[in-house]
Amino acid sequence: MSLFNDVEKVLISETELKERIAALAAEMNAIYTDDDLPVLICILKGAFMFLADLTRHLTFRHELDFMEISSYGRGTTSTGAVRILLDLAKDVQGRNVVIVEDIVDTGNTLTYILRNFAARNPASVRVATLLSKPSRRQIEVPVDFIGFEVPDEFVIGYGLDFAEQYRNLPFIGVLKPEVYQRS
Amino acid sequence: MNISLPNSVERVLLDEATIQQRVQQMADIISTDYAGLRNEEFLLVGVLKGSFMFMADLARRLTVPHRVDFIALSSYEDSAEATGAVRMIMDTRVDVARRHVLIVEDIVDTGYTLQYLYRIFGARQPASLRTAVLLSKPDQRKVEVPVDYLGFQIPDVWVVGYGLDFADRFRTLPYIAMLKPSVYSK
Repeated sequence: MSLFNDVEKVLISETELKERIAALAAEMNAIYTDDDLPVLICILKGAFMFLADLTRHLTFRHELDFMEISSYGRGTTSTGAVRILLDLAKDVQGRNVVIVEDIVDTGNTLTYILRNFAARNPASVRVATLLSKPSRRQIEVPVDFIGFEVPDEFVIGYGLDFAEQYRNLPFIGVLKPEVYQRS
Repeated sequence: MNISLPNSVERVLLDEATIQQRVQQMADIISTDYAGLRNEEFLLVGVLKGSFMFMADLARRLTVPHRVDFIALSSYEDSAEATGAVRMIMDTRVDVARRHVLIVEDIVDTGYTLQYLYRIFGARQPASLRTAVLLSKPDQRKVEVPVDYLGFQIPDVWVVGYGLDFADRFRTLPYIAMLKPSVYSK
């Protein structure tokens, strides 16, 4: 399959993902109760696979909502400004919110999202991210649940894409440099 | 892993292993049917919110390159009865013209929503337009709609889990369960 040919190496295997996500869910199960009724907000497109696997393990009552965002132009700007393509279906005022992200790198986008959420007066906001690239961080941003810290490499798969490819790989891989240098 | 059944659940209709096995079979068939296409030629369109779990499991089992896109339609979350009216809240990010489009849906009951999607996307001149649907309730059908890849036919009972909700609850159960009638007839 040509998709696999572009992968330099598997960084996090399917089994490792599965085990770590179950552990993250257990952390959340220890914090939230049915009465908290948190709303998990999936940031599309990248986080859909993480959301699907994380939420299967949750034992407290929760609701889901989706927000699709898109950066202006290529990559993220220093302000982290993003366009909201799909806003929440729910009013989160007074609710306990968990933002579910695929990756936090510079922190700019997440900071922008957190500001946006703060303006909606939720009761609480926590962030769950599958991946974090601490070496890329430009701004301090609180992240409550982190799946894996990864080095500053071009990661793909499990929701993460390069030019809309490789999202569906069941593992996290590193893209061959010649693939992204080509374009 | 949602092991104890919620009180509102009558019984499990499709367990996790049964669903996973069937999704794998569907992915194998779809991978065969769409073999040879390039990434930008094959587009999966998931209908939010219900299809996110099916989409996640289906997409990662496909061996053919594809793009993933999501659309959102207006839902009537407080109403147990589906009506024919649908409104597109979020459209696809890419133009579907000349692409092979596969709509990914959790369930087809009356058929109204799928009929709407066929009309909307059919008018945009895709290279082809097909549907992959996890569940079908044929007893509920009001309009004839073709389903190309179907997971399971189920009886006309209220089901939750694996993306399907009741008043936004039970969506993330890893299995599909029947809701107790006392819950939704209240």
